[in-house]
Amino acid sequence: MNRLLLTLATSLLVQGGLCASTQVPEQRLKTAVDEVLAQAKSSSNPDELAGRLGPVLQKYLSFEAMTRRAVGPGWRQFSPSQKKEAAKLFTILIIRTYSSKFTPGMNPEILFKKAATPAPGRVEVPTTILYQGSKYGVTYRMEESEGWKITDVVIEGVSLVANYRTQFDSEFKKGGAEAVVGSLTQTVDQRK
Amino acid sequence: MALLTGIVTASLLIGCAAKKETPPTASASVGHKTSDGKSVKSGDDDLEEYGVLLIPDPLEPLNRATFTLNHGIYVILLRPISKGYTTVVPKLVRTGVHNAYENVKFPIRFVNDTLQGKFDRAGLETGKFLVNSVVGIGGLGRPSDHIPAMADIPAGNTGQTFAKWGIPHGAYLVLPVLGPSSVRDTVGLAGDYALNPVSWVTILFGGYAWTLAIPSVNTLRSLPVQMDIYDAATKDAIDPYVAARSAYVQFREEDAAK
Repeated sequence: MNRLLLTLATSLLVQGGLCASTQVPEQRLKTAVDEVLAQAKSSSNPDELAGRLGPVLQKYLSFEAMTRRAVGPGWRQFSPSQKKEAAKLFTILIIRTYSSKFTPGMNPEILFKKAATPAPGRVEVPTTILYQGSKYGVTYRMEESEGWKITDVVIEGVSLVANYRTQFDSEFKKGGAEAVVGSLTQTVDQRK
Repeated sequence: MALLTGIVTASLLIGCAAKKETPPTASASVGHKTSDGKSVKSGDDDLEEYGVLLIPDPLEPLNRATFTLNHGIYVILLRPISKGYTTVVPKLVRTGVHNAYENVKFPIRFVNDTLQGKFDRAGLETGKFLVNSVVGIGGLGRPSDHIPAMADIPAGNTGQTFAKWGIPHGAYLVLPVLGPSSVRDTVGLAGDYALNPVSWVTILFGGYAWTLAIPSVNTLRSLPVQMDIYDAATKDAIDPYVAARSAYVQFREEDAAK
């Protein structure tokens, strides 16, 4: 009887951990973060780092959704080729922005906190990055479409997508889709 | 026995259901509508996912001019100074200096936590101040990091208190050298200044050379962090001015939610 109780209690504990609906995306995020850190650690300069992170981020981030949301309702007035161009350029920009947060050779400690489920098919994983005595709060927003993908990175409360949303909005008001694509081209070319 | 198994299974199911209802974190509300649950796949119906963050900016032309001026000051003056400081002063000393200045800012945190009715936090801050001042030798070390309750207390500040009291930002302001702020937060900065013992030295003892050293070192030690924040907000931006403004509003919103 006692042994049975123990078995039940153990299985309860184990399943209690597994039944969390956030477990799959959390695991996915951990894999992604591990891959990013492995690249950061073994890179020797920022360009090499950005080059290596590109393919990793392509796997885990939903660039198309991020572009669409960063542009906002104005997206409907984009032609198919403008949409394609904007997504291509914004992808380069996100990879660059994200890569610049890492120093080649760095090896920070990352703590994953309790994930939240703001809506079905959506998960937010808050993390704390400990690096050289400083702490940074980074929350990853993830959504399930074809597997779980990261749709936003929120650093110290500042959302990557929301930040570009505000900037694209003023460009769009100035000159529509053309102005948005033009400003993207200009920003991407600035640091080639 | 079957009953027991039943109970266990039921509690398991309840456990699962309860987990799904975890409320969104504070950060979830920032510029992000999370109540609808639209999927990534859905065509165009997620376009209003993110709102445009607005803060009244009637002084935009002046603010832009100050922003450009600040950029010049950062590039020509402050960044080299900051680089020099991090190059010349060893990491261990920098950490100690940084810790000591943060430790002595205790009145800002204590008074504002109290004004916001966060008495638990004010108590923890007091404990943290005592531990770090005594065990950490004048706050050079941060032994409080090893006490879980004290390792991660969000720092109270006067602007945050105003936000908690429901006072709106007012107009966006770019302050010379200091950078993005608002009318509310500028008044808040004045409050923080008055509550910071580092400023009391100058106020009490006047402008002797040695009293200038104390705030000057304070500026030095906070420069690298400020430069990092500025770079993070404006690098790869379409319009650095708009990017910094948006980052500022989001950052303060997050801070007020703490």
